[in-house]
Amino acid sequence: MKKNSYFWWIYLPLLIYFLFAIGPMVWVVVSSFQTDDQIFSHLMPFSFRAFIPENPVLNAYQKIFLEKNFGRALYNSLIVTITTLIAGLFLNSMCAFGFAAFKFKGRNILFLGTLITFMIPFGSIALPLYLVVNNFGWINTYWALIIPGLSNGLTIFLFRQFFLDIPRDYIDAARVDGAPWFSIYLLLYMRMSIPIIISAGLIIFLFQWESFMWPLIVARSSAMKVIQVAIADFSQEGQVLWSEIFAASAVAMLIPIAIVLPLQRFYIQGITSSGIKG
Amino acid sequence: MYRRMQTLISEGTRYREKITPYLFIAPALIGLVLFRLYPILNSFISSFQAVGFGANAGKIRWVGLGNYNFIVSDPVFWQSFKTTMLFVFIITPFEITLSFILALMVSRRFPGVDFFRTSFFMPVTVSLAVASAIWGLMLNPNNGFVNSFIAIFGIKPQPFLTSKNQALFSIISIVTWREAGYWMIFLIAGLHNVSQELYESARMDGAGAFRIFSDITIPLMRRTILFVFVADTSSKFLMFVPMYILTSGGPENSTNVLMFEAYRTIFIYGDRGGGNAIVMIILMVCIVTIALQFKLFKSSQ
Repeated sequence: MKKNSYFWWIYLPLLIYFLFAIGPMVWVVVSSFQTDDQIFSHLMPFSFRAFIPENPVLNAYQKIFLEKNFGRALYNSLIVTITTLIAGLFLNSMCAFGFAAFKFKGRNILFLGTLITFMIPFGSIALPLYLVVNNFGWINTYWALIIPGLSNGLTIFLFRQFFLDIPRDYIDAARVDGAPWFSIYLLLYMRMSIPIIISAGLIIFLFQWESFMWPLIVARSSAMKVIQVAIADFSQEGQVLWSEIFAASAVAMLIPIAIVLPLQRFYIQGITSSGIKG
Repeated sequence: MYRRMQTLISEGTRYREKITPYLFIAPALIGLVLFRLYPILNSFISSFQAVGFGANAGKIRWVGLGNYNFIVSDPVFWQSFKTTMLFVFIITPFEITLSFILALMVSRRFPGVDFFRTSFFMPVTVSLAVASAIWGLMLNPNNGFVNSFIAIFGIKPQPFLTSKNQALFSIISIVTWREAGYWMIFLIAGLHNVSQELYESARMDGAGAFRIFSDITIPLMRRTILFVFVADTSSKFLMFVPMYILTSGGPENSTNVLMFEAYRTIFIYGDRGGGNAIVMIILMVCIVTIALQFKLFKSSQ
């Protein structure tokens, strides 16, 4: 009897928060396969069948992809996110290698500058950054969405931290063999850095996939809209059905979950090491 | 001749060796300067400027503290300022307390702990825009999920985002739903850094769970807690997405935080100088708040 009450003390609060955290997500995915009439019939009055899809239909998905140009937004987001991911990993790890492998004039001050930039919240520069990008003529292009987000102080910091733990002997041996610096970076260091590549990659991926304010400012046209902005537009238009918002949200939600969940250990390592060392 | 060539070559390689590090760091640093440092300086400078209109269209002139004076005399700004402070000073302790409770619940080992930890973390992968869109429908006053759910317990339907008394708290709940799991991760990492031996010896000395928590856990986690507070505070001062998607600052400006006001000032009213001045004020207030947090944690040592 005592054991039983102990059991509830631990599991009941966990279960309640579990329902609070996951419930809305399940409801969204289930509702995306329903018509609005079906959704409302389980809400008035409330019934737990709202969480069980019955007679699932694909109406909402057909509507958003075939009529509401959501495919284009998804495509834009994928292009922008994948490009940022690859180019960002490359650019920032190279910079980190420069900081970790060499002693050079101005190194400390430049690295300090890098650290400062990652304390500047993106929101605070979004507005003036618009003017910079506007001067380049990049409004409503992929350039505006990709280029400003590439360099990232946090990613540089994470890579440098990892590179510093790699014994210097590797470099010395490779130099004796006459290996050029770039191959040392790419073939030696990067090959030993798979865990940090995954961690930093996930951070970059989520950052770019979820970014909203910046795309809202620079890529408003229907051809360049990204997925987050498209969903915001759906939820602000009066004409859009609930099931359509849910279908769009389900797509935007399930893609990062499918990527982050299996790799969450790396993501968690990435963000906590940035916080605790930084 | 041969010797001169030799020195030339070795000078060449020495030069190459010298610039190599700069070649590695340059691409990323150019990006940081162009897209991070320059904009913030630009924002600072243009907060002292005004762009002409009418006959002087496009002409930039210096107005000193003119933009700031104008803002400070605007009651909308002060209301927005109050809303921002209310938002930040409620949501940060609320979120972090909840995250701490979650972290304490799932930092020990027991059957199913990984499952719960992962599910608490799941909302973090939902973007703020999507979270806002979903919760906007959940909190719909007419036929939303939440109103129909609380009706089971006999609670009357609530207006949520459509009421000036509840809108800000609705946004606080939405953001907390998404982010509690994020701060939980840092706090779990902090809890795991506290050595188990300390707990053991405290338990041997007969300290109760509450004593252990207040005398061992909290002091040893000071660094983590400070980090979480600082990071959370700075992100909340700049919160924009839920206000943009859900309320447009309303009803009756009750969710019109400074970041939203700055966005409106620049992109809707076209007042660049004024908007940048607001951004600068946000940053200053944010820095002061963070400095106070550092001080508070120092003095409580």
